[in-house]
Amino acid sequence: MSRRQFVRGELSEIPAPLALGALQAKFELADAADFADDVDVLNYALTLEYLESAFYEQGNAKGLLTGKAKTYLARIGLDEAFHVTAITQTIQKLGGTPVKSPTVDFGQSFASAKSYLTTSHTFENTGVGAYLGAAGFVKNKDVLQAAAGIFGVEARHAAIVGNLLGLKAEGGVYTGAAETGIAKKTVLAAVSPFLSQMAGKMPVGGVNTGGGSTAGIQDKALLSAGGAALLGAGVLAYAARHRESTNTES
Amino acid sequence: MDTGSLFEGRPVITFGHETDRRNFLRWAGLVGVGAAFVAGGGLGTGTAAAAAPSTVGDLGILNYALTLEYLEADFYGEGLKANLLHGRELALVTPIADHEAQHVAAITAAIKAAGGTPVARPKLTYPSGTFGSRTKFLATASQFEELGVTAYHGQVPLIKSGAVLGAAASIAGVESRHAAILADLNGGQPFPAPIEKHATKATVLKAVTPFLK
Repeated sequence: MSRRQFVRGELSEIPAPLALGALQAKFELADAADFADDVDVLNYALTLEYLESAFYEQGNAKGLLTGKAKTYLARIGLDEAFHVTAITQTIQKLGGTPVKSPTVDFGQSFASAKSYLTTSHTFENTGVGAYLGAAGFVKNKDVLQAAAGIFGVEARHAAIVGNLLGLKAEGGVYTGAAETGIAKKTVLAAVSPFLSQMAGKMPVGGVNTGGGSTAGIQDKALLSAGGAALLGAGVLAYAARHRESTNTES
Repeated sequence: MDTGSLFEGRPVITFGHETDRRNFLRWAGLVGVGAAFVAGGGLGTGTAAAAAPSTVGDLGILNYALTLEYLEADFYGEGLKANLLHGRELALVTPIADHEAQHVAAITAAIKAAGGTPVARPKLTYPSGTFGSRTKFLATASQFEELGVTAYHGQVPLIKSGAVLGAAASIAGVESRHAAILADLNGGQPFPAPIEKHATKATVLKAVTPFLK
Protein backbone atom coordinates (compact mmCIF):
# COMPACT_ATOMS: atom_id res chain seq x y z
CA MET A 1 0.00 0.00 0.00
CA SER A 2 1.33 3.35 -0.95
CA ARG A 3 0.32 6.34 1.02
CA ARG A 4 -0.03 8.16 -2.24
CA GLN A 5 -2.94 5.90 -2.95
CA PHE A 6 -4.75 7.21 0.03
CA VAL A 7 -7.37 9.74 -0.69
CA ARG A 8 -7.82 12.02 2.21
CA GLY A 9 -11.22 13.38 2.79
CA GLU A 10 -14.03 13.67 5.15
CA LEU A 11 -17.40 12.18 5.71
CA SER A 12 -20.38 13.38 3.86
CA GLU A 13 -22.20 15.49 6.38
CA ILE A 14 -19.22 16.97 8.10
CA PRO A 15 -18.29 20.60 8.33
CA ALA A 16 -14.81 20.63 6.94
CA PRO A 17 -12.72 22.66 9.31
CA LEU A 18 -13.73 20.93 12.51
CA ALA A 19 -11.70 18.06 13.74
CA LEU A 20 -10.18 16.81 10.55
CA GLY A 21 -7.93 19.69 9.79
CA ALA A 22 -6.95 20.29 13.35
CA LEU A 23 -6.48 16.70 14.31
CA GLN A 24 -4.95 15.61 11.05
CA ALA A 25 -6.95 12.51 11.59
CA LYS A 26 -6.22 11.22 8.13
CA PHE A 27 -9.69 9.79 8.13
CA GLU A 28 -9.80 7.83 4.98
CA LEU A 29 -12.76 8.38 2.82
CA ALA A 30 -13.96 5.50 0.86
CA ASP A 31 -16.12 6.16 -2.12
CA ALA A 32 -19.75 6.64 -1.30
CA ALA A 33 -20.51 3.74 -3.61
CA ASP A 34 -18.35 1.40 -1.56
CA PHE A 35 -21.06 0.43 0.86
CA ALA A 36 -24.78 0.32 0.32
CA ASP A 37 -25.67 -0.15 3.98
CA ASP A 38 -24.42 -1.44 7.32
CA VAL A 39 -24.67 -5.04 6.21
CA ASP A 40 -22.37 -4.21 3.34
CA VAL A 41 -19.82 -2.74 5.71
CA LEU A 42 -20.14 -5.72 8.00
CA ASN A 43 -19.67 -8.20 5.17
CA TYR A 44 -16.55 -6.32 4.15
CA ALA A 45 -15.31 -6.61 7.73
CA LEU A 46 -16.34 -10.24 7.87
CA THR A 47 -14.29 -11.08 4.82
CA LEU A 48 -11.22 -9.50 6.39
CA GLU A 49 -11.86 -11.28 9.66
CA TYR A 50 -12.21 -14.58 7.83
CA LEU A 51 -8.88 -13.94 6.19
CA GLU A 52 -7.23 -13.11 9.49
CA SER A 53 -8.81 -15.99 11.31
CA ALA A 54 -7.72 -18.49 8.67
CA PHE A 55 -4.28 -16.92 8.64
CA TYR A 56 -3.73 -17.51 12.34
CA GLU A 57 -5.38 -20.90 12.30
CA GLN A 58 -2.92 -22.06 9.68
CA GLY A 59 0.06 -20.13 11.02
CA ASN A 60 -0.32 -21.22 14.62
CA ALA A 61 -0.50 -24.83 13.50
CA LYS A 62 2.96 -24.60 11.92
CA GLY A 63 4.83 -24.57 15.21
CA LEU A 64 6.99 -21.64 14.19
CA LEU A 65 6.72 -19.65 17.38
CA THR A 66 7.82 -20.09 20.95
CA GLY A 67 7.41 -18.29 24.23
CA LYS A 68 5.62 -14.98 24.31
CA ALA A 69 5.14 -14.85 20.55
CA LYS A 70 3.39 -18.20 20.60
CA THR A 71 1.17 -17.17 23.49
CA TYR A 72 0.25 -13.84 21.97
CA LEU A 73 -0.50 -15.12 18.49
CA ALA A 74 -2.65 -17.88 19.92
CA ARG A 75 -4.69 -15.23 21.64
CA ILE A 76 -4.84 -13.08 18.52
CA GLY A 77 -6.14 -16.07 16.60
CA LEU A 78 -8.90 -16.49 19.16
CA ASP A 79 -9.79 -12.82 18.89
CA GLU A 80 -10.13 -13.04 15.12
CA ALA A 81 -12.30 -16.13 15.37
CA PHE A 82 -14.48 -14.29 17.85
CA HIS A 83 -14.77 -11.37 15.44
CA VAL A 84 -15.95 -13.71 12.71
CA THR A 85 -18.66 -15.09 14.96
CA ALA A 86 -19.70 -11.72 16.33
CA ILE A 87 -19.93 -10.05 12.93
CA THR A 88 -21.80 -13.00 11.43
CA GLN A 89 -24.38 -12.83 14.19
CA THR A 90 -24.69 -9.08 13.85
CA ILE A 91 -25.37 -9.37 10.13
CA GLN A 92 -28.02 -11.97 10.83
CA LYS A 93 -29.63 -9.77 13.45
CA LEU A 94 -29.84 -7.00 10.90
CA GLY A 95 -31.56 -9.36 8.51
CA GLY A 96 -28.62 -9.62 6.16
CA THR A 97 -26.82 -12.58 4.67
CA PRO A 98 -23.27 -13.10 5.87
CA VAL A 99 -20.68 -13.86 3.24
CA LYS A 100 -19.04 -17.23 3.59
CA SER A 101 -15.41 -17.80 4.31
CA PRO A 102 -13.12 -17.00 1.39
CA THR A 103 -10.65 -19.42 -0.05
CA VAL A 104 -7.20 -18.45 1.04
CA ASP A 105 -3.63 -19.29 0.29
CA PHE A 106 -0.97 -17.57 2.31
CA GLY A 107 1.91 -18.64 0.11
CA GLN A 108 5.27 -18.29 1.80
CA SER A 109 3.90 -16.47 4.81
CA PHE A 110 4.68 -19.41 7.06
CA ALA A 111 8.17 -20.05 5.79
CA SER A 112 9.64 -18.78 9.04
CA ALA A 113 8.67 -17.19 12.31
CA LYS A 114 9.76 -13.85 10.93
CA SER A 115 7.73 -14.11 7.76
CA TYR A 116 4.73 -15.22 9.78
CA LEU A 117 5.01 -12.27 12.16
CA THR A 118 5.75 -9.84 9.35
CA THR A 119 2.66 -10.89 7.43
CA SER A 120 0.64 -10.76 10.63
CA HIS A 121 1.83 -7.23 11.24
CA THR A 122 0.72 -6.18 7.78
CA PHE A 123 -2.61 -7.88 8.20
CA GLU A 124 -3.30 -6.20 11.52
CA ASN A 125 -2.36 -2.73 10.36
CA THR A 126 -4.48 -3.23 7.28
CA GLY A 127 -7.36 -4.27 9.49
CA VAL A 128 -6.97 -1.16 11.63
CA GLY A 129 -7.06 1.06 8.56
CA ALA A 130 -9.94 -0.83 7.02
CA TYR A 131 -12.17 -0.41 10.04
CA LEU A 132 -11.32 3.25 10.38
CA GLY A 133 -11.87 3.80 6.69
CA ALA A 134 -15.30 2.22 6.80
CA ALA A 135 -16.47 3.58 10.15
CA GLY A 136 -18.04 6.66 8.64
CA PHE A 137 -20.46 4.53 6.66
CA VAL A 138 -21.99 2.79 9.63
CA LYS A 139 -25.42 4.11 10.46
CA ASN A 140 -26.47 1.89 13.35
CA LYS A 141 -24.86 3.05 16.58
CA ASP A 142 -24.66 -0.44 18.06
CA VAL A 143 -22.88 -1.65 14.98
CA LEU A 144 -20.58 1.33 15.18
CA GLN A 145 -19.78 0.58 18.81
CA ALA A 146 -18.91 -3.01 17.97
CA ALA A 147 -16.88 -2.11 14.91
CA ALA A 148 -14.93 0.49 16.86
CA GLY A 149 -14.34 -2.06 19.59
CA ILE A 150 -12.94 -4.53 17.10
CA PHE A 151 -10.86 -1.81 15.48
CA GLY A 152 -9.21 -1.08 18.81
CA VAL A 153 -8.32 -4.71 19.34
CA GLU A 154 -6.78 -4.92 15.88
CA ALA A 155 -4.65 -1.94 16.88
CA ARG A 156 -3.53 -3.85 19.98
CA HIS A 157 -2.59 -6.80 17.82
CA ALA A 158 -0.63 -4.62 15.42
CA ALA A 159 1.34 -2.97 18.20
CA ILE A 160 2.22 -6.21 19.94
CA VAL A 161 3.25 -8.00 16.77
CA GLY A 162 5.33 -4.98 15.77
CA ASN A 163 7.03 -5.22 19.13
CA LEU A 164 7.58 -8.96 18.79
CA LEU A 165 9.37 -8.20 15.55
CA GLY A 166 11.56 -5.72 17.38
CA LEU A 167 10.53 -2.92 15.06
CA LYS A 168 11.31 0.64 16.01
CA ALA A 169 8.71 2.11 18.32
CA GLU A 170 7.43 4.94 16.15
CA GLY A 171 6.64 3.70 12.69
CA GLY A 172 6.77 0.05 13.71
CA VAL A 173 4.90 -0.46 16.95
CA TYR A 174 2.99 2.80 16.67
CA THR A 175 2.01 4.66 13.55
CA GLY A 176 1.95 8.17 14.93
CA ALA A 177 -0.44 10.00 17.21
CA ALA A 178 -3.45 9.12 15.06
CA GLU A 179 -4.43 6.01 13.16
CA THR A 180 -4.91 6.31 9.42
CA GLY A 181 -7.95 4.98 7.64
CA ILE A 182 -7.57 3.00 4.44
CA ALA A 183 -10.06 2.96 1.59
CA LYS A 184 -11.85 -0.24 0.70
CA LYS A 185 -10.22 -0.61 -2.68
CA THR A 186 -6.77 -0.18 -1.16
CA VAL A 187 -7.50 -2.77 1.50
CA LEU A 188 -8.74 -5.24 -1.05
CA ALA A 189 -5.69 -4.65 -3.20
CA ALA A 190 -3.51 -5.28 -0.17
CA VAL A 191 -5.11 -8.61 0.66
CA SER A 192 -5.42 -9.72 -2.96
CA PRO A 193 -2.17 -11.70 -2.89
CA PHE A 194 -3.78 -14.08 -0.46
CA LEU A 195 -6.69 -14.56 -2.80
CA SER A 196 -5.04 -14.44 -6.18
CA GLN A 197 -3.44 -17.78 -5.54
CA MET A 198 -6.82 -19.10 -6.44
CA ALA A 199 -7.17 -16.97 -9.52
CA GLY A 200 -7.95 -19.96 -11.68
CA LYS A 201 -11.04 -20.63 -9.65
CA MET A 202 -12.03 -17.16 -8.74
CA PRO A 203 -15.22 -15.72 -10.07
CA VAL A 204 -15.33 -11.98 -10.25
CA GLY A 205 -17.56 -9.41 -11.72
CA GLY A 206 -20.54 -9.75 -9.46
CA VAL A 207 -21.61 -6.56 -7.84
CA ASN A 208 -23.80 -8.07 -5.15
CA THR A 209 -21.92 -8.99 -2.04
CA GLY A 210 -24.31 -11.85 -1.53
CA GLY A 211 -22.96 -13.63 -4.57
CA GLY A 212 -24.46 -14.56 -7.85
CA SER A 213 -21.45 -13.95 -10.03
CA THR A 214 -20.42 -16.73 -12.30
CA ALA A 215 -17.78 -15.04 -14.36
CA GLY A 216 -14.43 -16.73 -13.84
CA ILE A 217 -10.96 -15.38 -14.09
CA GLN A 218 -8.61 -17.87 -15.64
CA ASP A 219 -5.55 -15.73 -15.85
CA LYS A 220 -3.73 -14.48 -12.81
CA ALA A 221 -2.35 -11.61 -14.86
CA LEU A 222 -5.84 -10.37 -15.40
CA LEU A 223 -6.26 -10.03 -11.69
CA SER A 224 -3.09 -8.02 -11.50
CA ALA A 225 -4.19 -5.83 -14.34
CA GLY A 226 -7.67 -5.39 -13.04
CA GLY A 227 -6.38 -5.04 -9.54
CA ALA A 228 -8.45 -3.43 -6.93
CA ALA A 229 -11.39 -2.64 -9.12
CA LEU A 230 -11.99 -6.26 -10.01
CA LEU A 231 -11.54 -7.41 -6.48
CA GLY A 232 -13.70 -4.63 -5.23
CA ALA A 233 -16.52 -5.94 -7.29
CA GLY A 234 -15.93 -9.59 -6.87
CA VAL A 235 -14.09 -10.45 -3.72
CA LEU A 236 -17.11 -10.80 -1.55
CA ALA A 237 -18.97 -12.93 -4.03
CA TYR A 238 -15.87 -14.98 -4.33
CA ALA A 239 -15.64 -15.15 -0.60
CA ALA A 240 -19.14 -16.41 -0.38
CA ARG A 241 -18.84 -19.27 -2.73
CA HIS A 242 -15.50 -20.88 -2.84
CA ARG A 243 -14.23 -22.04 0.45
CA GLU A 244 -15.32 -25.59 -0.04
CA SER A 245 -13.83 -25.93 -3.47
CA THR A 246 -10.41 -24.95 -2.27
CA ASN A 247 -10.50 -26.99 0.84
CA THR A 248 -11.19 -30.10 -1.12
CA GLU A 249 -8.39 -29.39 -3.54
CA SER A 250 -5.68 -28.50 -1.11
CA MET B 1 -10.50 -3.46 34.49
CA ASP B 2 -11.18 -1.93 37.84
CA THR B 3 -11.07 1.71 36.91
CA GLY B 4 -11.74 2.65 40.50
CA SER B 5 -8.27 1.54 41.50
CA LEU B 6 -6.45 4.12 39.44
CA PHE B 7 -4.17 6.15 41.68
CA GLU B 8 -5.54 4.01 44.49
CA GLY B 9 -8.74 5.96 44.22
CA ARG B 10 -7.07 9.17 45.33
CA PRO B 11 -7.72 12.51 43.67
CA VAL B 12 -5.21 13.73 41.17
CA ILE B 13 -6.91 16.86 39.94
CA THR B 14 -6.79 20.09 41.86
CA PHE B 15 -7.83 23.53 40.81
CA GLY B 16 -6.04 26.78 41.27
CA HIS B 17 -9.24 28.75 41.35
CA GLU B 18 -12.69 27.96 42.51
CA THR B 19 -13.97 29.16 39.13
CA ASP B 20 -11.93 26.48 37.37
CA ARG B 21 -13.34 23.86 39.62
CA ARG B 22 -16.89 25.02 39.05
CA ASN B 23 -16.37 25.00 35.32
CA PHE B 24 -14.94 21.54 35.47
CA LEU B 25 -17.89 20.33 37.44
CA ARG B 26 -20.27 21.88 34.98
CA TRP B 27 -18.92 20.23 31.90
CA ALA B 28 -18.36 17.00 33.72
CA GLY B 29 -22.08 16.88 34.15
CA LEU B 30 -21.82 15.51 37.65
CA VAL B 31 -23.62 18.31 39.42
CA GLY B 32 -27.20 19.36 39.34
CA VAL B 33 -26.88 22.47 37.25
CA GLY B 34 -25.02 20.44 34.68
CA ALA B 35 -25.21 20.57 30.98
CA ALA B 36 -28.79 21.67 30.54
CA PHE B 37 -28.14 24.77 32.57
CA VAL B 38 -25.17 25.71 30.48
CA ALA B 39 -27.01 24.96 27.29
CA GLY B 40 -29.71 27.35 28.41
CA GLY B 41 -27.18 30.11 28.75
CA GLY B 42 -28.03 30.73 32.38
CA LEU B 43 -24.52 30.99 33.64
CA GLY B 44 -24.71 34.07 35.81
CA THR B 45 -22.40 36.80 34.64
CA GLY B 46 -21.75 37.26 30.99
CA THR B 47 -18.03 36.91 31.30
CA ALA B 48 -18.34 33.62 33.10
CA ALA B 49 -20.59 32.30 30.38
CA ALA B 50 -18.19 33.32 27.67
CA ALA B 51 -15.29 31.60 29.36
CA ALA B 52 -17.10 28.42 30.30
CA PRO B 53 -15.79 25.35 28.58
CA SER B 54 -18.11 23.73 26.10
CA THR B 55 -20.12 21.03 27.80
CA VAL B 56 -22.65 19.64 25.40
CA GLY B 57 -22.66 17.70 22.20
CA ASP B 58 -19.51 16.92 20.32
CA LEU B 59 -17.69 19.88 21.83
CA GLY B 60 -18.47 18.53 25.27
CA ILE B 61 -17.10 15.17 24.25
CA LEU B 62 -13.97 16.80 22.90
CA ASN B 63 -13.50 18.67 26.18
CA TYR B 64 -13.93 15.44 28.06
CA ALA B 65 -11.30 13.84 25.84
CA LEU B 66 -9.08 16.88 26.30
CA THR B 67 -9.15 16.52 30.07
CA LEU B 68 -8.13 12.89 29.83
CA GLU B 69 -5.39 13.73 27.39
CA TYR B 70 -4.15 16.48 29.70
CA LEU B 71 -3.97 13.91 32.45
CA GLU B 72 -2.12 11.42 30.31
CA ALA B 73 0.29 13.95 28.85
CA ASP B 74 1.14 15.29 32.28
CA PHE B 75 1.46 11.83 33.72
CA TYR B 76 3.95 10.67 31.09
CA GLY B 77 5.84 13.92 31.28
CA GLU B 78 6.35 13.45 35.00
CA GLY B 79 7.13 9.77 34.59
CA LEU B 80 9.78 10.29 31.97
CA LYS B 81 11.36 13.07 34.03
CA ALA B 82 11.79 10.57 36.83
CA ASN B 83 14.20 8.66 34.60
CA LEU B 84 12.91 5.23 35.52
CA LEU B 85 13.09 3.56 32.15
CA HIS B 86 15.91 2.43 29.92
CA GLY B 87 16.56 0.69 26.66
CA ARG B 88 13.60 -0.79 24.84
CA GLU B 89 11.16 0.28 27.55
CA LEU B 90 12.22 3.89 27.25
CA ALA B 91 12.02 3.64 23.47
CA LEU B 92 8.47 2.31 23.70
CA VAL B 93 7.16 4.78 26.27
CA THR B 94 8.74 7.97 24.93
CA PRO B 95 6.52 8.06 21.81
CA ILE B 96 3.48 7.51 24.02
CA ALA B 97 4.26 10.73 25.85
CA ASP B 98 4.65 12.46 22.49
CA HIS B 99 1.33 11.11 21.29
CA GLU B 100 -0.55 12.31 24.36
CA ALA B 101 0.95 15.77 24.02
CA GLN B 102 -0.08 15.81 20.37
CA HIS B 103 -3.57 14.74 21.32
CA VAL B 104 -3.83 17.66 23.73
CA ALA B 105 -2.72 20.12 21.06
CA ALA B 106 -4.91 18.62 18.37
CA ILE B 107 -8.08 18.41 20.43
CA THR B 108 -7.57 21.94 21.73
CA ALA B 109 -7.21 23.20 18.19
CA ALA B 110 -10.26 21.25 17.08
CA ILE B 111 -12.42 22.73 19.83
CA LYS B 112 -11.30 26.24 18.98
CA ALA B 113 -11.79 25.66 15.27
CA ALA B 114 -15.36 24.64 15.99
CA GLY B 115 -15.95 27.80 17.99
CA GLY B 116 -15.85 26.12 21.37
CA THR B 117 -13.93 26.87 24.53
CA PRO B 118 -11.39 24.27 25.59
CA VAL B 119 -11.46 23.17 29.21
CA ALA B 120 -8.59 24.57 31.26
CA ARG B 121 -5.54 22.46 31.92
CA PRO B 122 -6.13 20.87 35.31
CA LYS B 123 -3.49 20.90 37.99
CA LEU B 124 -2.47 17.41 38.86
CA THR B 125 -1.08 15.85 41.97
CA TYR B 126 -0.25 12.20 42.15
CA PRO B 127 -0.08 9.95 45.18
CA SER B 128 3.47 9.78 46.46
CA GLY B 129 5.32 6.89 44.97
CA THR B 130 3.54 7.03 41.62
CA PHE B 131 6.87 7.84 40.02
CA GLY B 132 8.95 6.16 42.69
CA SER B 133 9.77 3.07 40.68
CA ARG B 134 9.63 1.67 37.21
CA THR B 135 7.08 -0.86 38.37
CA LYS B 136 4.71 1.69 39.84
CA PHE B 137 5.00 4.06 36.89
CA LEU B 138 4.33 1.38 34.31
CA ALA B 139 1.53 -0.20 36.30
CA THR B 140 -0.23 3.13 36.66
CA ALA B 141 0.37 3.90 32.99
CA SER B 142 -1.24 0.61 32.04
CA GLN B 143 -4.33 1.39 34.10
CA PHE B 144 -4.44 4.83 32.59
CA GLU B 145 -4.32 3.57 29.02
CA GLU B 146 -7.00 0.98 29.61
CA LEU B 147 -9.16 3.68 31.14
CA GLY B 148 -8.53 5.94 28.14
CA VAL B 149 -9.54 3.22 25.73
CA THR B 150 -12.81 2.54 27.53
CA ALA B 151 -13.47 6.28 27.75
CA TYR B 152 -13.14 6.85 24.01
CA HIS B 153 -15.21 3.82 23.17
CA GLY B 154 -17.89 4.97 25.56
CA GLN B 155 -18.33 8.13 23.49
CA VAL B 156 -18.37 6.48 20.06
CA PRO B 157 -22.17 6.12 19.79
CA LEU B 158 -22.73 9.61 21.20
CA ILE B 159 -20.67 11.56 18.69
CA LYS B 160 -22.72 13.37 16.09
CA SER B 161 -20.16 14.68 13.66
CA GLY B 162 -18.41 12.27 11.38
CA ALA B 163 -15.27 14.36 11.57
CA VAL B 164 -15.19 14.19 15.34
CA LEU B 165 -15.92 10.48 15.19
CA GLY B 166 -13.07 9.94 12.78
CA ALA B 167 -10.72 11.97 14.89
CA ALA B 168 -11.75 10.30 18.13
CA ALA B 169 -11.50 6.85 16.61
CA SER B 170 -8.09 7.55 15.16
CA ILE B 171 -6.91 8.60 18.61
CA ALA B 172 -8.64 5.69 20.33
CA GLY B 173 -6.78 3.24 18.15
CA VAL B 174 -3.51 4.76 19.26
CA GLU B 175 -4.57 4.46 22.89
CA SER B 176 -5.27 0.78 22.23
CA ARG B 177 -1.73 0.35 20.95
CA HIS B 178 -0.40 2.06 24.06
CA ALA B 179 -2.56 -0.10 26.30
CA ALA B 180 -1.33 -3.29 24.67
CA ILE B 181 2.33 -2.34 24.90
CA LEU B 182 2.05 -1.26 28.52
CA ALA B 183 0.25 -4.45 29.45
CA ASP B 184 3.10 -6.34 27.85
CA LEU B 185 5.71 -4.31 29.72
CA ASN B 186 3.83 -5.05 32.94
CA GLY B 187 3.69 -8.75 32.23
CA GLY B 188 -0.08 -8.44 31.85
CA GLN B 189 -2.58 -9.31 29.15
CA PRO B 190 -2.32 -7.07 26.07
CA PHE B 191 -5.57 -8.49 24.71
CA PRO B 192 -7.98 -8.43 27.65
CA ALA B 193 -11.07 -8.73 25.45
CA PRO B 194 -11.79 -9.48 21.78
CA ILE B 195 -13.75 -6.22 21.54
CA GLU B 196 -12.72 -3.09 23.42
CA LYS B 197 -14.81 -2.33 26.44
CA HIS B 198 -16.46 1.02 26.95
CA ALA B 199 -17.29 3.15 29.96
CA THR B 200 -19.46 6.15 30.60
CA LYS B 201 -18.06 9.56 31.29
CA ALA B 202 -19.27 9.41 34.87
CA THR B 203 -17.42 6.15 35.48
CA VAL B 204 -14.24 7.43 33.94
CA LEU B 205 -14.28 10.73 35.78
CA LYS B 206 -14.90 8.98 39.04
CA ALA B 207 -11.80 6.93 38.43
CA VAL B 208 -9.60 9.99 38.05
CA THR B 209 -11.39 12.46 40.28
CA PRO B 210 -12.96 10.61 43.15
CA PHE B 211 -13.42 13.80 45.13
CA LEU B 212 -16.09 14.90 42.69
CA LYS B 213 -18.44 12.34 44.12
